[in-house]
Amino acid sequence: MSTQSPSPGPVSVQVQTRNPISLRLRKILGTNFTDQATTEALRTLSHLYGTNHPSDQPSPVTNSDTESDSESETLVDLTVDFSSETASRARKNLRRDLENTLAEGSRQFLQAFSEVDQKLDAIQAHVSAMRACCDDADAQLRLTAESSKSLLDRAGSLRQEREVVETRKSIVMLFLDRFTVTDEEAEAMTSRDVPVGKRFFSAMSKTERIRADCRVLMSGEDGPTKAGLDIMASTSSYLEQGYEKIYRYCSFEFRQMGRDVHLEVSPIMREAIRRLRQRPELLSEALTLLTTTRQTSLLSAFLAALTRGSGGGGRPIELHAHDPIRYVGDMLAWVHQAIAAECEFLEGLFGLGEGSADGDNGEGEFGVDGDEVRERQRRRMVGSVRTFGAGEEWVGELLNGAVEKLCVPLKVRVQQTVRSQESSIVSYKVANLLEYYTLTMRRTIGEGAVLCKTLDEITEVSYKVFFDAIEAQGRTLLRTSLDPDDPSVRPPLPILEHAQLLREIIQVYDSSLLRGDTNTAPAPANTAHTSPSAATPGPFTFKRILDALLDPALEMCLGAAEEKKRLRPRWDQAVFGVNCLTYLQSVLEPFNFTLDKQLEIQGVIDERVKLLTDEHYENILKDASLYDAIEACQTKNPSEPLARIPATQPAQLRSSLSKFSHWLSGLEVVHSPRLAQLTMYPATSIHQAALARLARAYGKLCEEVRRVGSGYEAGSTLLGSERPFGKIGLLFQIFGLEEDQGEDEDEEKVDEEEEDEEEEEEGDSEEEYEDDDEDDGKDQDGDDEGGEGDEDEDDGEEED
Amino acid sequence: MAPDEFDVGATELLETYDFLMKYIIIGEAGTGKSCLLHQFTHNAFKDHSQHTIGVEFSSRTVKLGEKRIKLQLWDTAGQERFRSVTRSYYRGAAGVILVYDITNRDSFLNMSRWLTDARALASPHLVAVLVGNKSDREEDREVEWAEASRWAAENDVHFLEASSLSGDNVEAPFLLAARSILLSIESGALDPEKAGSGVSYGDRALRRVTSSSHLSFGSLSGARKRRSGGFRLKNWVPSGKCC
Repeated sequence: MSTQSPSPGPVSVQVQTRNPISLRLRKILGTNFTDQATTEALRTLSHLYGTNHPSDQPSPVTNSDTESDSESETLVDLTVDFSSETASRARKNLRRDLENTLAEGSRQFLQAFSEVDQKLDAIQAHVSAMRACCDDADAQLRLTAESSKSLLDRAGSLRQEREVVETRKSIVMLFLDRFTVTDEEAEAMTSRDVPVGKRFFSAMSKTERIRADCRVLMSGEDGPTKAGLDIMASTSSYLEQGYEKIYRYCSFEFRQMGRDVHLEVSPIMREAIRRLRQRPELLSEALTLLTTTRQTSLLSAFLAALTRGSGGGGRPIELHAHDPIRYVGDMLAWVHQAIAAECEFLEGLFGLGEGSADGDNGEGEFGVDGDEVRERQRRRMVGSVRTFGAGEEWVGELLNGAVEKLCVPLKVRVQQTVRSQESSIVSYKVANLLEYYTLTMRRTIGEGAVLCKTLDEITEVSYKVFFDAIEAQGRTLLRTSLDPDDPSVRPPLPILEHAQLLREIIQVYDSSLLRGDTNTAPAPANTAHTSPSAATPGPFTFKRILDALLDPALEMCLGAAEEKKRLRPRWDQAVFGVNCLTYLQSVLEPFNFTLDKQLEIQGVIDERVKLLTDEHYENILKDASLYDAIEACQTKNPSEPLARIPATQPAQLRSSLSKFSHWLSGLEVVHSPRLAQLTMYPATSIHQAALARLARAYGKLCEEVRRVGSGYEAGSTLLGSERPFGKIGLLFQIFGLEEDQGEDEDEEKVDEEEEDEEEEEEGDSEEEYEDDDEDDGKDQDGDDEGGEGDEDEDDGEEED
Repeated sequence: MAPDEFDVGATELLETYDFLMKYIIIGEAGTGKSCLLHQFTHNAFKDHSQHTIGVEFSSRTVKLGEKRIKLQLWDTAGQERFRSVTRSYYRGAAGVILVYDITNRDSFLNMSRWLTDARALASPHLVAVLVGNKSDREEDREVEWAEASRWAAENDVHFLEASSLSGDNVEAPFLLAARSILLSIESGALDPEKAGSGVSYGDRALRRVTSSSHLSFGSLSGARKRRSGGFRLKNWVPSGKCC
């Protein structure tokens, strides 16, 4: 219709502008029907109707039209296709058609829903049925659960019961395992078929453990139970049989051990011994067997070594029987070495010296690595001091037993050797050697050992032989008389020979094996360890030797000299005595350990020297012609004037002084022919002492002469007429002595000297001696060795 | 019913030895013989060592190849006054360790006398090893290595230097001597069965002898080859030993 409307002209358009219809129309015309919704609606509509009249609307025009103008397609369509008839019908029936269609649709809906409803009802029925079934089942399940609950309970309790039983069973098994011996173990312990070894030992260990545990258990509150007693009874029999078996094993093995000097110990053996220590009676029985075998084998080895040279030695020891030191030394060294091997064996047997046997074995099979090392550190050397600790008493005893039989042949041979010695030096050396070995053995096998006792005996015998020899020598010396025709005052030949012997013996002692022992190792434990009963090495024995050697010599020097003097009055006994004594002293001098004896001799010498000095002084006085004057001066009555005494009448005195002056220019002032005979004692010291005394006596004489009331008219003149002109200082100068030695000092000095001598005789320690020495050194008197140095120089000058 | 196999094996390993050898250690006083020995047997330096009195004994088992050798060691006093005692112990020694002090020329010069003495008294097949001790005191050295080595060669003895203070080379002389002795047994020159050889069979060797008549020394030769590095033998000493 709109297609038709644009046909009217512009006029009508203008007119229609205000017209509502035209407005309406314009609006309609202006309406755009090309929007989607409209198009859709229209299409539905055409569809509705198209389907109603499909045959009467074939319109190719429409098609061409559609093709030509797509925009106005619908409009053209409607315009062209639906002729007025269809359109009007459509316009008329549209509502109805629509309602019909709607009704039809609703009806269809209803129909469908009723069908659905029916189906739902069916489902409902099914669901109900199912519900019923479920309820049924549920009820039934509940019923079943209730009924099975008791069953479950029962099963649970049964299970618990079973667990309890299981536990009990394992406990019982463990108990049985722990407290009963299996057949196999019993067999290991009792049967002879099972050798002593690991299996046997583990069975033994177990049995022992059972008994120990059992004892612990039975010591509880309840007291011994029957089971416990049963266990103890049964294990006890096994154990005893086990020990018996060990004993048999050891006995058998020990019997085999007689063949070799060097023995090894197997760990089985060691373990066997360790266990057998629980049964000491069995052990000692077995060990007795061992001792017997070892005794025999060691003895035969020793004899073989002596005579055939086997048993670790090349040539037979007896080949050197002519050389006593070597012979005895070799025998003892053999014994010592045998003891070392035996000791190792026994220590191995008792597991004491494990380190030695396992030496480098660090594999630690038995996991005792650390212990082993410690063991090794603790291990002592055979030569060192041994203390018998726990467990070592067996070793000590066995060692003692094993070497017991060596004692007799050893003793016989050593005694034979010792007794056949003629040289006292050699017998002293042998005695020394024996003493050394006594000490060594004492440390090695203990003091109480038979061997040590034997060695003590032999040592004693050898010392006795030695002492007998030197005492006999001493007696011989005493019997020797001096040759009365010999004018010499030197030590005679017998003394020289004796001194040589003395010197050699001292040298042996000095390099003695024993001295080093006490000197280099002054361990107090050492000396405490050795028994006091034994011949103690060192000073005591040696002092005895010195006494035995020196006393006869001293006695001879003095006694025989006395005798000779009687026969030959002109012979100078005093000088001879001092010579002999100083000679003997000189032998002792280099050795510190003879100090006591030196002091003793020094005492005698000092005494002799004092006598000699007195004698010499008198001789000098006589030679110097002052004897009478001084004698008179000293012995006169103090109130009596000196000049009245015949010996010191002025004329006499003048003559004496003149002779004295003459004597002073003589040779005797510096040299005494008599004292020149002294071989070792410094003659000048005696001479000077005498000269000093002379000088002082002269001084006293001068004093007396000068004194008022002495009776001399011109004392000073009298004295001054001759040398030394009454001047003591000058006299000292002539004598080459120090002037300052006043009379008082002299007196004191003499006193001191006497004291010193006393001290020297008493004193036995070195310090005192040294002190004396120093004192003497300070006093510059000519009597002692101390002041010797200065004077010697002076003498030298004067003598020249 | 047979004894436990393991047990037997362990026994053999632990206790028995193939050979027992007697050694003496000699030399001047103060050269460190006791210290050397102490270091060898205890793996420690012996402090404040006193002069040895007479003779002291110790022992140790060493392993050489497959052989286990027990050494009986007699440490002697060097001081002159013990000479007569110590000489009695030379009898039947298989090996001698001659010790001198490299810082003391006199102790070296006297070696000839010691060696002569030992050769006269010990086993006829005596094996000697010369040891220059105190090698740690190089600054005080008075005896040159070359000189001692020459002397050793002239006198047919083995030679090395050791220090008993540091433990350096301490095992070597003992092992060296043991090896020489084993070799002379192997070569048949030395018969352990003979008296005075200073060597005797241990249980272990005896057992082997009875099972097979010939002794095998295969392992020994191996050890010898390994030694080519010089005198330092320490490394093939049984390693299990500790300090």
